[in-house]
Amino acid sequence: MYAYDFRLAWHSIRRNPGLSALMVLAIALGIAVCAVTFTVYHAMATNPIPQKSAVLHAVTLDTWDPDEPYDEETPEHPPQLMTYRDATYLYGSRAAPRSLIMYKSGGLVLPERQGVKPFTAELRVTTHEFFPMFDVPFQYGQGWDAAADAGPHPVVVLSDETNEKVFGGENSVGRTIRIGAREYRVAGVLRPYAPSPRFFDLNNGAFEDPEDAYVPFGWGRALELPVYGNTNCWKSESLNSYQDFLNSECVWLQTWVELPTAADRDRYQAFLDNYARSQKAAGRMERPLNNRLYDVQQWLDRNEVVQKDNRVLIGIALLFLGVCLVNVVGLLLAKFLNAAPLTGLRRALGASRRDIVRQHMMEVLLLGLAGGALGLLLAVGGLAGIRSFYDSDWNRDAYERLTAIDPIVVVVTLALSLVAGAVAGLYPSWRIGRTAPAVYLKTQ
Amino acid sequence: MDFKHILSSLRRSPTGAILVALQIALALAITVNSLYIVVQRYELINRDPGLDLANTFVIGWTPAGEKFNGEVTMREDLAILRGLPGVVAATTINAVPLSGGGSSTAVYTEPNEKGQRGQFNYFEVDEYGVEALGVRIAQGRDLDPSAVRKFPRNSSEAPPEMLVTRELAKELFPDEPALGKTVYSVLSQPIRIVGIIDRMHGSWPSWEKVGNVALTPVIADEQYARYLVRAAPGQRDALMKQTEEALGKVDNGRVVLKTRALDYVAASTYADDRAMAVYLLVVIVLLIGIAALGIFGLAAFNVSTRTKQIGTRRAVGARRLDILRYFLAENWLITTVGVVVGCVLALVLGYWLSTTFELPRLKLYYLVGGALGLWLVSLAAALRPARRASLVSPAVATRTV
Repeated sequence: MYAYDFRLAWHSIRRNPGLSALMVLAIALGIAVCAVTFTVYHAMATNPIPQKSAVLHAVTLDTWDPDEPYDEETPEHPPQLMTYRDATYLYGSRAAPRSLIMYKSGGLVLPERQGVKPFTAELRVTTHEFFPMFDVPFQYGQGWDAAADAGPHPVVVLSDETNEKVFGGENSVGRTIRIGAREYRVAGVLRPYAPSPRFFDLNNGAFEDPEDAYVPFGWGRALELPVYGNTNCWKSESLNSYQDFLNSECVWLQTWVELPTAADRDRYQAFLDNYARSQKAAGRMERPLNNRLYDVQQWLDRNEVVQKDNRVLIGIALLFLGVCLVNVVGLLLAKFLNAAPLTGLRRALGASRRDIVRQHMMEVLLLGLAGGALGLLLAVGGLAGIRSFYDSDWNRDAYERLTAIDPIVVVVTLALSLVAGAVAGLYPSWRIGRTAPAVYLKTQ
Repeated sequence: MDFKHILSSLRRSPTGAILVALQIALALAITVNSLYIVVQRYELINRDPGLDLANTFVIGWTPAGEKFNGEVTMREDLAILRGLPGVVAATTINAVPLSGGGSSTAVYTEPNEKGQRGQFNYFEVDEYGVEALGVRIAQGRDLDPSAVRKFPRNSSEAPPEMLVTRELAKELFPDEPALGKTVYSVLSQPIRIVGIIDRMHGSWPSWEKVGNVALTPVIADEQYARYLVRAAPGQRDALMKQTEEALGKVDNGRVVLKTRALDYVAASTYADDRAMAVYLLVVIVLLIGIAALGIFGLAAFNVSTRTKQIGTRRAVGARRLDILRYFLAENWLITTVGVVVGCVLALVLGYWLSTTFELPRLKLYYLVGGALGLWLVSLAAALRPARRASLVSPAVATRTV
């Protein structure tokens, strides 16, 4: 039965090749625009650490200016970053089962290997919990321990790329590397690691690669490592030394805690509020009490990782698909009615209404599938086109990830094209199914 | 004339007409709103930054080693740069305009954080800053070479004078000339405004106060130092290479980074906006194309199914022109309905975009332009089928099939 439907559908498609091609093209364009838009949107809206998303929390304290909120547009949110004294106090308190503090820095790497030029490496200056808390995968070796943070001990963890560049990809654990003013011993090498979005630091480009190397937090202070991320200050303070900077109200550190249960979360929230109250008593933190914990998804939302433009584009893409479908409905109707005498003949020879509808739906689904397949091809081209706008060294990688072909989107798109075909074909097929055979047979 | 006929014929089989009208309506709504976004982005990207984008480039270096005398090295480097043929001017600078990275602070018109407040993006440059950036001093004078200082790292010292853009001057002193006035840092250090720059964009093109910029006579800290070099017209690319070589030759431990042209920096900062604009333009073109093909297809189909009717009408006296007019009028009617519905949809979509995404409200003349445009497209798409209809011979009516 279906084979017969298929043959009939194929015949019908071939009878008006121009019209059929037009319909396939219309579906393909609608699908392509949707697929391109969905791909980028889906990549942006991904939760990069679903297994721990509800457990990991970014910690914020409202230490900002008593006279104005940190962000006028969203006054309910405290600053994303923290002062040095608050971050180190919270970290030292051990009030959460696991916590970490960190910031982004950088330094010059002087490789000893022949033919490798010195390069500026981005550094993450972090306490040792970074690796276990964020499930960071190691290729060789491991991270460091609490003693190395405090020491600080000259140990470093390298990204896969840095290890490739400096040591040619060998197991470099135990070897030394010179970064900025110091030599460090390689404690571990990561596997390729690029959570996208880079949830743990969304400040300077949410989709960029993570840092090239990781060093114990203590080095930040010992070497006065510069802040490569944002430093935001509101208070009029006279700063004349690095120590002044550390004691200032400037915010520049990220703080994360791991809170496995709701009870842990409540307890930590109470601890934060108590701390803020004690600081208020000491004349700091004059804004209303507002200290927030954000789990990973809330953090991605708070930082508006999915850009406004991409949400606008989703709406426009769906409307565009709508136009394409209306177009196809019109063309199908015209085509089916054009072939009505033939349908009348089939009805007269005993085909039921359901047979007629089924035969026509088969044709529409075929057109939909063809449109979907062509649409995916066009989408691949479209994604390449988008990538071509991002060709500078600092956003190329990010957009390669954001425009990568996404299997989920492929499946969704093909399903969408079938649904679209079905929706577009339903009315015309039903309409033609109601054809009274006599009307068309009369004129023959 | 024919409207009664057209209406009665449409009433008998309205589906095709409704589909065409719906297509036109949706296409109009999307096109108008998308075009509005495209034009906004285009204007954003093509604002005059006040800088000599085409001839300027940036080169930086990273210090290596424990101690490094930043000021000496930078002065030596600048002497080398200024000696290269084709260099118009070179300066140290703490951040790169239009790059997305920079520093901001605020000053007040009175001490102790009183009076009018002005927040701005500042660039630390030496006495060649104005020339290197290619900005124009509208009033007052350039920075005094003797005022150029290098502060110790982490110090809160303030420069004695600075240049501000007209935009910043207006924010600080809305009713009087800012030139010669003294403003105060957050620590109440006095800074004199010695010159007004016509216009200059700072580091963050998406900031609404991107034009609030000041140039201060300070040698930037070497941790973040860059040199901004302006080349004579046409010599930039060659000079970028020479600069890398000339500075790379100086063997003092630091590492010279790659040069970057300022227009390249600006282009990647605006990459999102450009991608959005081009993407929407493609969507608009495809949309109009699809809609036109749809209208054409349906009109052609209508003509072909009504061949006998047309023949009959011709046989009973209708002229070719009458047939042509009939089909065009039918198309005109459907299009008009579509355009009217489309205007409503466009306003709804525009309202939704402006409330949900805080985009500016759709301007009405876009709607008028879009409606006219689609009308013409629709008419053009129907022209050929209508012409074919008018060519149907009266003899067709006498045939049975």
